[in-house]
Amino acid sequence: MGATMLPEGREIRRSILRASHASGHGHIPTSFSIIELICAAYAEMRHDPARPDGEDRDIFILSKGHGALGYYGVLAHLGYLPVDELSTFGAFGSRLGCHPDRKKVPGVEVSTGSLGHGIAVAVGMALAFRIAKSPRRVFTVVGDGEANEGSVWESVMVAAHLGLNNLSILLDFNRSQGRSLPIENPAERFAAFGCDTIEVDGHDLQAIREALSKPCRGPRAVIAHTVKGYGCSTLTGNVFEWHRKSPSPDQLALLMAELESA
Amino acid sequence: MRNQFKATVSALAAQDEKVVVILGDISHFMFREFQERFPSRFYNMGICENALISVAAGLGAQGFRPFVHTITPFLTERSYEQIKLDLGYNEFGANIVTTGASFDYAWDGATHHAYTDLAILRLIPGMEVFQPGSPKELDAIIRARYASGRPVYYRLSDHSHGFDLDLGPEPGKGVVLMGGAHPVTVMTAGPILKNVEEACRDLPVNLVYFNCIKPIDHELIARFRHTRILVVHDAFGLREAICEVPELRTAYHGIPDRFCVWYGTVHDIRRQIGLDPEGIRAFVQARLGETATAGR
Repeated sequence: MGATMLPEGREIRRSILRASHASGHGHIPTSFSIIELICAAYAEMRHDPARPDGEDRDIFILSKGHGALGYYGVLAHLGYLPVDELSTFGAFGSRLGCHPDRKKVPGVEVSTGSLGHGIAVAVGMALAFRIAKSPRRVFTVVGDGEANEGSVWESVMVAAHLGLNNLSILLDFNRSQGRSLPIENPAERFAAFGCDTIEVDGHDLQAIREALSKPCRGPRAVIAHTVKGYGCSTLTGNVFEWHRKSPSPDQLALLMAELESA
Repeated sequence: MRNQFKATVSALAAQDEKVVVILGDISHFMFREFQERFPSRFYNMGICENALISVAAGLGAQGFRPFVHTITPFLTERSYEQIKLDLGYNEFGANIVTTGASFDYAWDGATHHAYTDLAILRLIPGMEVFQPGSPKELDAIIRARYASGRPVYYRLSDHSHGFDLDLGPEPGKGVVLMGGAHPVTVMTAGPILKNVEEACRDLPVNLVYFNCIKPIDHELIARFRHTRILVVHDAFGLREAICEVPELRTAYHGIPDRFCVWYGTVHDIRRQIGLDPEGIRAFVQARLGETATAGR
């Protein structure tokens, strides 16, 4: 991970830390893992925060729904949500649940949470655009733990068989599944299942954007090498302790300081 | 019923460019003409039932009217979470059409028997659940509901009840087929009506028939609240739906609490578990005897 963190990546992470501290909720490490992936997807997409239901918009689906806080951070940065609203994360009455709900959050296209669903719905949307002869594209972020689910591979097989080159799968390869069922050599696996596969530094925004803009024959799999908790050494060094945890005031100060020097 | 499904969907596809057919590697020979006429809207997607439902959800999300079709237990039980979340929770519309109801595949054994589908799908908010008993009923229901934008379940069977029934222009209504003033009411749904009618035709009972499990016809059921209600059905789900109406006295005759591990035909299995006309008649007569005794 040689990329320098861009200012927006740092600002989004700050807002996530504040929201997690204020709300008492948060999968911070997994959220920090996917910031550049989501930012790169939206940078490539046709979308307008003022018209989240615009008929010509491209689609983004966070298949690993537990990264919702990271997703909300990006959506707020893009203008879909007020940044201040992030502090309501997970609260009764909030729009911002710990997994995203399309009926509540502007910009969210599919409600996800149970793993292995979002990518499959993404395949259906990509097929819909193919049938309609529409240039719209579909992007989905899938976790490497999520890739334990058989439905992920069913979806990839279908997408490859149909040659859906309007679908981009971004694999958040942060090796979180090393503790149980690791997905080794994911690039080979996605290629073997019929995807056009590219490996990138998952925190290098420009590299991800280039990977997403290259022509491809079938579905594109961007294998993004990422780091859980990217930007804060306390998080990267203790991912299991911080898997689902909210920082105390002292911890918040520490994490903010680490983020400034990242 | 499968031929009617093909005929109805083909007719709809000719008028509605949003109709898409997704098969789980079944009925593809039957749909070959559809495939030739509408190649961009026909997908024999493979033996991947979880993906079939989710892909249909994605199509529904973008305004298409997908029909997903394969064998009952694999599409409803294996893919229950996909139906619950990708269709139900997300409120994406799709038509789920299964074949192999209850013991239609008797000879294939318990892996292919399917009698929980109606019961589990009716639990999903927003879901509509139909069990047509004849090709005519199937045609009417599909035409009325396929474009509703909701998840809709149609349970097809190879065996129709054989009656030409009129259940009104809008799906969801039941119908009284016999009696109306007796103290005992038999309620049933779908193709098993054939056996139920044969069992009860000369007995002093009211006979009520449904082909819509959800939403069920509360008004009609409530008319028989004062009677003893005998639910005779070759699946789970109808009795539970009927009992949405409070303060009923019901008894159920149908699926036992064990796997039906015999082979043969649907008629063999029905006979084994008492859902042949003789078994149904014996059950109803026994309840009639109890009612008469209680009334003395």
